[in-house]
Amino acid sequence: MMNKKAFGAVAVAAAAALALSACGSGSSTGGGESAKGEISYWLWDANQLPAYQQCASDFHKANPDITVKITQTGWDDYWGKITNGMASGTAPDVFTDHLAKYPDFIKTKQLLALDDAVANDKVDLGQYNEGLADLWVGQDGKRYGLPKDWDTIALFYNKKMAADAGLTPEQMGSLTWNAQDGGTYEKAIAHLTVDKSGKRGDEPGFDKNNVAVYGLGLESSGAGMGQTQWSFLTATTGWNHTDKNPWGTHFNYDDKKFQDTIAWWASLAEKGYMPKLETTVGANAADNFGAGKAAINTSGSWMIGQYSGYKGIQLGIAPTPTGADGKRASMFNGLADSIWAGTKKKDAAIKWVEYLGSAACQDVVAAKAVVFPAVKGSSEKAAAAFKAKGVDVSAFTQHVKDKTTFLFPITDNAAKIEGIMKPAMDGVVTGKSPASSLTAANEQVNALFAK
Amino acid sequence: MTTTATRPADSRRRPFRTNRPVNWRRTIAWVLLAVAIAVSVLPFYWVLRTALSTNGSLAANSASLLPADFNLGAFKRVFGLQTAAEAIAEGGSGASINFWQYLWNSLLFSSITTAGAVFFSSMAAYAFARLRWKGRDGVFSLFLGTMLVPPIFTALPNFLLVKNLGLLNSMLGMVLPYLFMTPFAIFFMRQFFLNMSREVEEAAMLDGAKHWRIFFQIVMPNAAAPIATLALLTFMGQWNEYFWPLLVGTTEETRVLTVGLGVFKSQAPQGAPDWSGLMAATLVSATPVLILFAIFGKKIVNSIGFNGTK
Amino acid sequence: MTTLTKQPGPGLSARGPQKSRKRGKPGADFRGTGDLRIALFFIAPAMLGFVLFYLVPTIRGIYLSFTEYSILGDPEWIGTRNYERIAKDPLFWNALGVTTQYVIINIALQTALALGIALLMHRVAKSTLIRGALLMPYLMANVIAALLWFWMLDYQIGIVNQLIEWLGLPRVAFFGSEQWAIPTQALINTWRHMGYTALLIFAGLQAIPNSVYEAASIDGSKAVSTFWRITLPLLRPVLVLVLVVTVIGSFQVFDTVAVTTAGGPVNATRVLQFYIYQRAFNEQDFGYGSALAVILFLILALVAFIQMKFLRGNQSDLD
Repeated sequence: MMNKKAFGAVAVAAAAALALSACGSGSSTGGGESAKGEISYWLWDANQLPAYQQCASDFHKANPDITVKITQTGWDDYWGKITNGMASGTAPDVFTDHLAKYPDFIKTKQLLALDDAVANDKVDLGQYNEGLADLWVGQDGKRYGLPKDWDTIALFYNKKMAADAGLTPEQMGSLTWNAQDGGTYEKAIAHLTVDKSGKRGDEPGFDKNNVAVYGLGLESSGAGMGQTQWSFLTATTGWNHTDKNPWGTHFNYDDKKFQDTIAWWASLAEKGYMPKLETTVGANAADNFGAGKAAINTSGSWMIGQYSGYKGIQLGIAPTPTGADGKRASMFNGLADSIWAGTKKKDAAIKWVEYLGSAACQDVVAAKAVVFPAVKGSSEKAAAAFKAKGVDVSAFTQHVKDKTTFLFPITDNAAKIEGIMKPAMDGVVTGKSPASSLTAANEQVNALFAK
Repeated sequence: MTTTATRPADSRRRPFRTNRPVNWRRTIAWVLLAVAIAVSVLPFYWVLRTALSTNGSLAANSASLLPADFNLGAFKRVFGLQTAAEAIAEGGSGASINFWQYLWNSLLFSSITTAGAVFFSSMAAYAFARLRWKGRDGVFSLFLGTMLVPPIFTALPNFLLVKNLGLLNSMLGMVLPYLFMTPFAIFFMRQFFLNMSREVEEAAMLDGAKHWRIFFQIVMPNAAAPIATLALLTFMGQWNEYFWPLLVGTTEETRVLTVGLGVFKSQAPQGAPDWSGLMAATLVSATPVLILFAIFGKKIVNSIGFNGTK
Repeated sequence: MTTLTKQPGPGLSARGPQKSRKRGKPGADFRGTGDLRIALFFIAPAMLGFVLFYLVPTIRGIYLSFTEYSILGDPEWIGTRNYERIAKDPLFWNALGVTTQYVIINIALQTALALGIALLMHRVAKSTLIRGALLMPYLMANVIAALLWFWMLDYQIGIVNQLIEWLGLPRVAFFGSEQWAIPTQALINTWRHMGYTALLIFAGLQAIPNSVYEAASIDGSKAVSTFWRITLPLLRPVLVLVLVVTVIGSFQVFDTVAVTTAGGPVNATRVLQFYIYQRAFNEQDFGYGSALAVILFLILALVAFIQMKFLRGNQSDLD
């Protein structure tokens, strides 16, 4: 029963607004224009910001007509802003990209292919640690990023607790594991667990309901990837997430080897060696370690700064346990810098990305001892820089040297898979569902690829 | 009307002052009020305590009621007085914080949107409450309907509109969606206008005054108390806005405090927030609103209700 | 004291004298439909804001709910398929249940506490200081309040569980246990909003003239019955405002969940708005998310309609 006049006014305004939002921004690329001016670069890790700001000023000295403007947005808001930017035509020219996100960007044609640039400018893909460059080639065979850094997984442990438990660093560094009895890994965890009356996990009279210190900390169920949670165990059994990697289309969560590993892992909580999942929701697992409530935390190399920053904790870093075949495994993830397809400064952006992917910039990053850069020489410099800070990172670099890494699974539908696997894995780790329930989840996941 | 003897214990409920001695009901009331105040305020002590702590020691001293390793570093970080290296060493992020600029932007953003929203919404509420016109209630229901719209619907289209108007990264673009009205403001003012006494208005109308004059010279002054309340609540709401200014105000010149202080949240996946910095930032960004309330709070205290009769 | 009862619909000229219940005042009818022009002038700015920033996006959102749209591509019309999927989606029904649970707990707790605080303030202490103290939680952004409580209620190293342990009770996994997750969210939101809601009710309490209480006490009415029979009914417009706004706001809970439990543990806090966000932004299924949002919108409309009808919020009993 709206007044006709009012309705008319509303309709006109609505039409105008719709028309306004329908017209897109004009796109124009002048020839010479795209090679100079200001380009925008986004990243999320504020700890790396000083290093990249220096790269930007070094780059500007070498290329005086290009200025790089760096914006840092925290992880929580980063992807929302990138997606919004792409939708509205205001995405950054260059940005730090992630393996779980870039398949979707390729599908929606938001990334610029770099193959021509790499060929023309003779970028040496061999300078990067093995496997990293391949991670960034899409299903169409085109390259969408130049590697930036890499990370692996290791065991962060409390040196004092280990010493009190009679475990030497050598022992901690050579743990073994299997899905049947947990190997020396479980033994160490059990022995490091102490209940409130001082009894250790493998001693009689151990009260699993009143634990003071857990042998193994728990951060989350790891959903479908389990990068820091369990993938370093499942990989030693010969299990792979997908049929092929990158660009697999069939997942293997129904495999017995996988389910047995998860069942073993969940059993640790039941035995009282690991916190129950429900008690871990809240402040950080790393903080719990820092509070002396867990003896071992499995985590990635990007957390070195966090773990080494806890006062009163002597940090030890041990490599992941060896599997039944005597070999270790660690997921190998690598970030890269990508160029947005809608950039108006294509040539300038390409130059910047190449600079970022070169030893010149990566050495700068290495010196700050925050991450391991992708270029081989730079990552060695980073290890040295860490050592100078008093942190021995050989447990991380070992995997690269021994070639015991396996690539982060790259597939389409990553977010949907996470949406299915997280509740399913949570259910198993809390003990609510048996490991066999993951078979049903696996079917749901594979159904995503059947379309 | 009959008069019956009332019990002394009812004196607490009586509005006119009877100087009775303190009774147990009053005590209980005070105790309950004290509990409510404690629950509201004590967590702020925890904020202060954490703000004065060192990040690395927080986890180990979780049971202590005192700051863990007393340290003013967090406040220094908030005001941008620490270098990136120092900040990183203390567990903070290395990003720079242009505190006073952000503060100014927040002030501007909140003030403009509050002034606009309260003023224009009051006008519209008057039209809905007092004026008679065809379709009035239908349109009001439509306006009310906007309260029901999930913000997810409006975020992206509004962003596109602001971009197409060329107002991205400008204060004007940021204030636009809130400037003309907020659904709550209209609803709120309409409820109060409905309850207002019509005597003075009627007298004015009989004198031949037009609605325009009545609104500005009689209605608004009488509604001073609810308007002040609404303005304060709107200001506080706008002060804490995060998502929209994050989308639209990305440059240093337009960034507001809440967005600028997002630097204290976790930067990397699985990382921990810069707890001390975050808590210090919370205190600092709440202070201007506290001051505002201290100044204007009296106006609300001295209200004469909104019945309009003097 | 005069009142104006609202009657929907057109037909304005006859409204004046018939509707208003006045105490012996001549019925002054504001000139019939002639108010239209001035009314348009009064509403114009708000109307502009409404159309541009609420109406148009909503219409667009409704359109998108009939499409498949990943934000970065183009919307593709698929008719009602999204809605069919919703009907069969167990997560949607879970979200509905979980959100309703949250709303009930939150509203009951918040309204009761706020009402109690407002009454206490009104009777016992009117000082700005106390009012300011109670309003302090509202000074924190939603997200910050959630993070603070996330920290304080942590199972392992939070201070609240520490206190609980000192009292000899077992620790509570506030955010991690499926039974506690939603009540904890409700507690956080209540903590943040109870002062604010109390302030609103308090403003309403102040509008009740003393004469009413005087009359009541002369009549021999005791404290409790004064409250139930006089105070509460006179508070009706304000209470309705508070209830409508808080119920609608509660159905739209998002910030606190996103920052703390992100829908977990398992699906215990996967409330509607979070589920919409998950589908629309995380999983880039914006069409499906829009359809869910439309359903949420309809639910809210229904709830608001029921509330307004049954609580007769447009009337005041001041007479």
